[in-house]
Amino acid sequence: MRKLSYNLWFGKFEEKVELAEKLKESFKSARNNSPLPFNISDLGMEIFGKDYYKILRKIAIEVAEEKMEKELRSDEKYVIALVKALEELEEIINVLKEKKSDLELVKGTEIQDDFAESISNLERLKEKVEKEIEVVMERIAPNLTEVAGAKIGAKLIEKFGSLEKLAKAPASKIQIIGAERSLYKALARLKKGKEAKMPKHGIIFLHGFVRNLPKNKRGKMARFLAGKISIASKVDFFRGELEEGLHDLVKKRFEELRRK
Amino acid sequence: MRNVKFFGNIPATKSRYGSHYGEKIFEVGRERYREWVPWRSKLSAMIVKGYEVEFSGNEKILYLGAASGTTLSHLADIVDEGMIYAVEYSAKPFKKLLELARNRENIIPILADASKPQEYSGVVEKVDLIYQDLSQRNQVEILEINSKFFLKRRGRMLMMVKAKSIDSTVEPREVFSLVLKEVSEAFEILATGDLEPYHRDHIFVSGVRK
Ligand SMILES: C[S@@+](CC[C@H](N)C(=O)[O-])C[C@H]1O[C@@H](n2cnc3c(N)ncnc32)[C@H](O)[C@@H]1O
Repeated sequence: MRKLSYNLWFGKFEEKVELAEKLKESFKSARNNSPLPFNISDLGMEIFGKDYYKILRKIAIEVAEEKMEKELRSDEKYVIALVKALEELEEIINVLKEKKSDLELVKGTEIQDDFAESISNLERLKEKVEKEIEVVMERIAPNLTEVAGAKIGAKLIEKFGSLEKLAKAPASKIQIIGAERSLYKALARLKKGKEAKMPKHGIIFLHGFVRNLPKNKRGKMARFLAGKISIASKVDFFRGELEEGLHDLVKKRFEELRRK
Repeated sequence: MRNVKFFGNIPATKSRYGSHYGEKIFEVGRERYREWVPWRSKLSAMIVKGYEVEFSGNEKILYLGAASGTTLSHLADIVDEGMIYAVEYSAKPFKKLLELARNRENIIPILADASKPQEYSGVVEKVDLIYQDLSQRNQVEILEINSKFFLKRRGRMLMMVKAKSIDSTVEPREVFSLVLKEVSEAFEILATGDLEPYHRDHIFVSGVRK
């Protein structure tokens, strides 16, 4: 039988305590699959005396600070990379679907089943990526996620380059980002003295509250939503805590526009 | 309640420290009190609504979902001779929590996912109370696994539940009754109630481990 062994923040316990040389390292790996059958502070106090908590706090703060800095830096990059991957995946899936039906038109063979299998594999992967985007977004931008949805929120961060840039952007820019192509087209037409329609929404058109309204009301909703997204991302960037009620406001406005 | 005093309708905690989130400071003779804003803290809302939570001041507490430390700062005033292990998994609000923890000798900050107590099982001791406020779909499950790891026998728990984070498609009342049923498997429920008008569609649940 294996001897029971426990990982503690100040060392290992196997019949007796083996003190770690580097407390920060042992703190980071103080992982156990089941509850300790003793109270760690009793044991620690036998070793450190009444300084136990003082030392524990010092190490805890150091470890947490390091981890926090690392996560703050990496989470946004991660979500941006995920969004890019998602967009590529969506495209690949569409292309494969097209090719599959092209093939079907010409000649029905077994190769189509292989296409179908690949497509469904990719779709599963796509779902996984979407889930992961949700998890990370909830953590780095809970308000933006609540107001815009994880996917749209992540796309906005990706387009602007960072949460900070999104938080500092004017709402008018948020409203049309992602519609650059139609914006340039419109501007070109205007320059030539022709009439042109300015785009009213870019990425946020993907939001159900915009898309599910009749055409003539979408602009209004897009403007409102962009304003709230701007507030939400500011709260996320500067405070990082969930502000109750932002999403309710957006939903109320949607209901108003729908009824009118 | 220990170290809590009402100034009109507003509770405040006796504190040696300054303002943490913009709350007012009241001076009474040589004592200092920090306004405890019920709109910002569910525990404060609970107290304003007349519920009592007993503290002797030397409790060991595991706090799950401490965010930037708003409620935590007051809890730390109350259990001034105890110790609070504050778990939060989001790095953003954690920054502010860390500021608090640096000043307070009775807070141990832990940046970790509360659904994986294994990760901090070699850090947190056995506690008298688990306070949970983390608006997660599986928050009851998270409470239970943490109780298994850290809550003393007959230890207490106090949890805040937001209907919308558990299930936004059904009526809050239905969500709450489901949650209560689930909680009562491992806990004897002592009290429960809403937090209107301070926190809409929220309830608190307090209990003792069976
Ligand atoms: C409603 S806020 C808490 C507010 C805080 N208790 C107060 O009153 O000052 C919920 C917090 O729980 C955190 N949270 C959610 N799920 C978590 C998990 N699995 N582990 C750790 N923290 C979590 C969120 O990041 C958020 O900061």
